[in-house]
Amino acid sequence: MQARVLVMLALRNLRRHLRRTVLTAAAMIAGAVVMVFSFTLDDGSHEQWIDSAVRMGSGHVTVERPEYRVSRRIDDRLPDGVRRAAEQALQSPELALRIAAQSAKLGVTGLASSAAGSRPAQIVAVDPVAEADFGTIDDQVVEGRYLEADDELVACVGVGLAGSLDLELGSRFVVQAQDAEREIAGQLFRVVGIFRSGLPAIDQMMIHVPLATTGEWLGSASDVTNVGVVLEDSAATTQVVEQLERALAEPVARGEARVMGWRESDPTLAAAIAIDALGNYIIQGFLLVIIAFGIVNTVLMSVMHRHREFGVLRALGLSPGQTGIIVLLEGLALALASGLVGVGLGILIMWYFLSDGLDLTAVMEGAEDLTFGGVQVDPVIVPIFGAWRMVQITTFIVGIGCAAAIYPALRAMRIDMTEAMKFDR
Amino acid sequence: MAATDSAAVRTEGVWKTFHQEAEAVHAVRDVSLAVESGEFTALAGPSGSGKTTLLNLIGGLTRPSRGKVWVAGREVSGMSNQALARLRLNEVGFVFQAYNLLPVLSAFENAEFPMLLQGVDAEERHARVRELFQRTGMAGLEDRRPGKLSGGQQQRVAVVRAVASRPALVLADEPTANLDSTASEALLDIMGELNRDLGVTFVFATHDSRVMERSRRLVRMVDGAVASDEWRV
Repeated sequence: MQARVLVMLALRNLRRHLRRTVLTAAAMIAGAVVMVFSFTLDDGSHEQWIDSAVRMGSGHVTVERPEYRVSRRIDDRLPDGVRRAAEQALQSPELALRIAAQSAKLGVTGLASSAAGSRPAQIVAVDPVAEADFGTIDDQVVEGRYLEADDELVACVGVGLAGSLDLELGSRFVVQAQDAEREIAGQLFRVVGIFRSGLPAIDQMMIHVPLATTGEWLGSASDVTNVGVVLEDSAATTQVVEQLERALAEPVARGEARVMGWRESDPTLAAAIAIDALGNYIIQGFLLVIIAFGIVNTVLMSVMHRHREFGVLRALGLSPGQTGIIVLLEGLALALASGLVGVGLGILIMWYFLSDGLDLTAVMEGAEDLTFGGVQVDPVIVPIFGAWRMVQITTFIVGIGCAAAIYPALRAMRIDMTEAMKFDR
Repeated sequence: MAATDSAAVRTEGVWKTFHQEAEAVHAVRDVSLAVESGEFTALAGPSGSGKTTLLNLIGGLTRPSRGKVWVAGREVSGMSNQALARLRLNEVGFVFQAYNLLPVLSAFENAEFPMLLQGVDAEERHARVRELFQRTGMAGLEDRRPGKLSGGQQQRVAVVRAVASRPALVLADEPTANLDSTASEALLDIMGELNRDLGVTFVFATHDSRVMERSRRLVRMVDGAVASDEWRV
């Protein structure tokens, strides 16, 4: 009964000074909208970075030999049995549902040469059909075409490497790499496509060639160095890693395989995202502190203005704690309502950008090839609405509203009844 | 001196001392007083005589510097803040000079407020408030907010609020000070009736001669001490 009375008083007090309540709420609503705007775009850009990086690299999850990540040598191929076990595990119903694409690749370093000279190269042998689903190179071809299923002895090269070696469509060039017998083996390829990823390291070094051709060239048959998986949702990475580790427990224990999530396989990107997220949290933190001071000021003024009323409430039988609770309830109710309205309004505003994204091309003019954390920054950011993120923002706002009411509540608790009722308004 | 069941209030050697800079000011000096249930008693005296402070001590709004106070047989001086709050809720009704109704509540809600805190069920609450509103001539004004009531009407609501929760005593601090003579007479009539018909114990702090004339016991205070204590016929 008493709790209901306290809630009623708190709500009535908020309604009593409607203008003050609305102004305070407006500050919190604006804060929530800004947070929704900022966090959904931040989450969207992070997801874009992750997607871009994992498709260009080894996927959200990769299975490879433990030594391969550092050595990048053909000697550290994934044993055929492990590859088959990994691919079989990925076909299990519980994993298949989470998988958007998968690709088994053989990646080695080598030397690309033409009449114009020689350049170090990162040779990636792929199944063209699987890679078209998995990666983004096929979408980034600026001349010619990407590899096709029946292709042999052809290559798709980065625009920087093509420029360095003076390669054009139809040009032939030689690629040399260590083969399975640890001998240097060379192979002549014809350029069928030139791609531009926007990442200098990729464009200057990467060559995509058919996996079947490489098997004959390097004597590696159908062996690969990794099996990569792109997931429907990057948030499932840890779960998929754990499931694959269970499925490949024996080869993992023998040191023949290692299952890695993208954070482990691409620590630079993970760090870049963490830094960016931290920066955003700090900015939002400052925003919340500014809002909190506004709320403290308003609620404290409200308490001082009602000095006499709190004295009367105490005289009528409320304890000091109960008078403090009224003030806290006012802060809670105001913050909860503001948080929900602010998040709702923020979602409505951001919904507009959900289909086409927020296009920052004009802002990024002249910096089209801007990269961060090893990935190209896409000027079009599509926001991501996560239920957890919305709950988090609402909780931030509610938390700040309640925290801001603590000091005024303490003031209300400490009111001297006889002094309070001496005032004559 | 021990408290007896029949005493609504008893004080024993009560002092209240305030410290202003280095100087100690005794607002109440060694007051020993007993108010029996059903009394209609006035504490009278000029400003600064200590009557309001004594009322505050009895009501548990402040604590004595020395001495003891019993309300409804319970010694209040050593009570915790929580216990004092419960005592005020259940045993003491207050009527203040400035009415002190809660502006966010209607007249009816103000009147039932202490009972809401006590957990009295709605039917009982409404019956008590309706009956008292009828008695005090407030029927029909139940839904008005305090700001829409005259001073006299607000003070009647305050009296109903003080009485409806059936406390051991009602403490009224200058209840007529802000009212004109007609409203004051009407209010005193109502309080007299409630005392006579329902046995409500009233203790007033006043310097209003009308209140003193109607009280059956007049305790005069001078400089914080009881100067005289006379029963009137």
